[in-house]
Amino acid sequence: MTASDPRLQVRLGRRTLRNPVLTASGTCGYGPEYDHLLDYGQLGGFTTKSVTRHERPGNEPQRVAEVPGGLLNAIGLANVGLERFLAEKVPFIETMPTEVLVNVAGYTIEDYVVVCEAVDRVECLAGIELNVSCPNVSDGLMFGTDPGLLKEVVSAVRAVVTRGTLLVKLSPNVTDIASLARAAVEGGADGLSLINTYVGLSIDVERRRPVLANVTGGLSGPAILPLALYNVHRVYREVCADRGIPILGMGGIQNARDAVAFLLAGASAVAIGTALFVDPTAPVKIAEGIAAYLDQHGFASVSELRGQLQL
Amino acid sequence: MVWSRKFICTRMTASRTTPICSLPARVTRVDHVCREHVIVTAESDQLPPSQPGQFLQLQCRDTLATDPSIHAWGPQTWPRLNLLDQTGPPILLRRPFSIADRADDGTANRFSVISRAIGPGTRWLDRLEAGMELNVTGPLGRGYALPDPDQTALLVGGGVGIPPLLYLARTLHERGHRDVRVLFGVQTHDLLPVRLSDDLPTNGHATPCLRLPGEASFPALVATDDGSAGFAGRVTDALRALHALEGDRWRRPVICTCGPEPMLKAVAAASRAMGSDCQVCLERFMGCGLGTCLSCVVRVHAPDQEKGWRWALSCQEGPVFERDRVLDYDG
Repeated sequence: MTASDPRLQVRLGRRTLRNPVLTASGTCGYGPEYDHLLDYGQLGGFTTKSVTRHERPGNEPQRVAEVPGGLLNAIGLANVGLERFLAEKVPFIETMPTEVLVNVAGYTIEDYVVVCEAVDRVECLAGIELNVSCPNVSDGLMFGTDPGLLKEVVSAVRAVVTRGTLLVKLSPNVTDIASLARAAVEGGADGLSLINTYVGLSIDVERRRPVLANVTGGLSGPAILPLALYNVHRVYREVCADRGIPILGMGGIQNARDAVAFLLAGASAVAIGTALFVDPTAPVKIAEGIAAYLDQHGFASVSELRGQLQL
Repeated sequence: MVWSRKFICTRMTASRTTPICSLPARVTRVDHVCREHVIVTAESDQLPPSQPGQFLQLQCRDTLATDPSIHAWGPQTWPRLNLLDQTGPPILLRRPFSIADRADDGTANRFSVISRAIGPGTRWLDRLEAGMELNVTGPLGRGYALPDPDQTALLVGGGVGIPPLLYLARTLHERGHRDVRVLFGVQTHDLLPVRLSDDLPTNGHATPCLRLPGEASFPALVATDDGSAGFAGRVTDALRALHALEGDRWRRPVICTCGPEPMLKAVAAASRAMGSDCQVCLERFMGCGLGTCLSCVVRVHAPDQEKGWRWALSCQEGPVFERDRVLDYDG
């Protein structure tokens, strides 16, 4: 039972992955952080921390709070910026034996286009996960909450992303996620990442102040797993199944059982985020667990699980 | 002085080892050393070599789910637990603990941490028993740059900041340091998480000692905020008093400190006033300890940056920093 079992291979957009388990953006740095801890050769794919056009220092501390069943974070898109990403981070990524997606965030359509165009030129990068849904910057949700704007930014980016896979990561902090999924697909997305974190608030009642300096933060971890599953289920049925658009499902996955649930709900692959903080090797264990599930239930390949939820 | 420090930093960096993840370790001893504090000793042959100041991320379990005192109110209300709670669900995030001791006697590789029961995870640690399993990631971070053997080392610890200095004291002893003074500050006499060679004096004059392997010891000075034992007052006041008394005999003194933030600032200021080098071990909220969650940030001087500073991750560049690197500790 290995994470490289050929039955685990899946297509995600324009790429074939070794297995359906990736790391989620913002929980695994740019690669060197987990080198020697996590065998990238056993990973389906790796999603980098967000990259913006210009370097961002990030928010004041406290940036993270533990809450029941989860983690509330407001890092504020702290990242090295495009220039330093290309100069300092790409050389290591080149050596990583896995598919690497770059999470790209921005404030204007031009920001997105500039970063995506530069990233798409780099041969070792498999594609882009477009972050239109960071809840921890003042205007970060704008593109992620308006279908018209979303289609516009995805179309603009699609025009310059000619080689790599283009995933769009959607926010669950909306009334109708299916309308945003549709807008992203119409804009030319190869796939959707579902979901980003939920906006939350933690209060220190002794001090009568918010725990996070940013006041609010994004909730991740097992607390959001059923919410994420619902979003994947809904978007798969209403938008993706007919069009053959793959979903990268994420939200609170801690083990193979959780991961299989996402595949059954309609995800083609899954990403592991908060669980990496506890055990960076979790994705490999989860991939092996999925292979065991295939054996037990008599499936010939992992793609056979997609959307097999019996209603 | 500057060159020797640089040399030591380089040497220490070179000896840093790759941490190991999710290592099962067997608890061999649980010592309720004082009120609310427990020394947990565990063994595992696989834990890589470590340095004083480095930390471990421990997976703790939830003890609260079945406990009626979950509804009790007040910061001093600690739920009482029963043994069934020991098998509760894991708490999501690991908890960081400074290594309080490390020893390899050839048959077993042991390490200790000291925990104060203040939340669900630490309450679980408080109820561990010998024979139980502990899941460990580490060693993590950058430890103290060890002073030269001929330097005077002053180990200044406050409350839950005392543990890394115990490991540092043992290491200095093993490397042949003789001129080491230990100063520990606590709120009150029964919150001192270490047993000194003599009972704490109440007259403020006698000098207890920190016991070391063999028959050795380093002289220790204890300060209590309420005057219930040792020096009455803050540990920084004790440091100043000691400096006035014997500072002229100190050789290139270096202060290694760890404790609550206000204490660290006071020690940093005092060390500057007495012309001593100072290394501070910081405590920040940590999500992962591995450099990816970006929560444990500290402002450090960075002349090449437009604003003159940048964020450093205390789990990677720290938790031990040179005093002069940390913006918050500027004079």
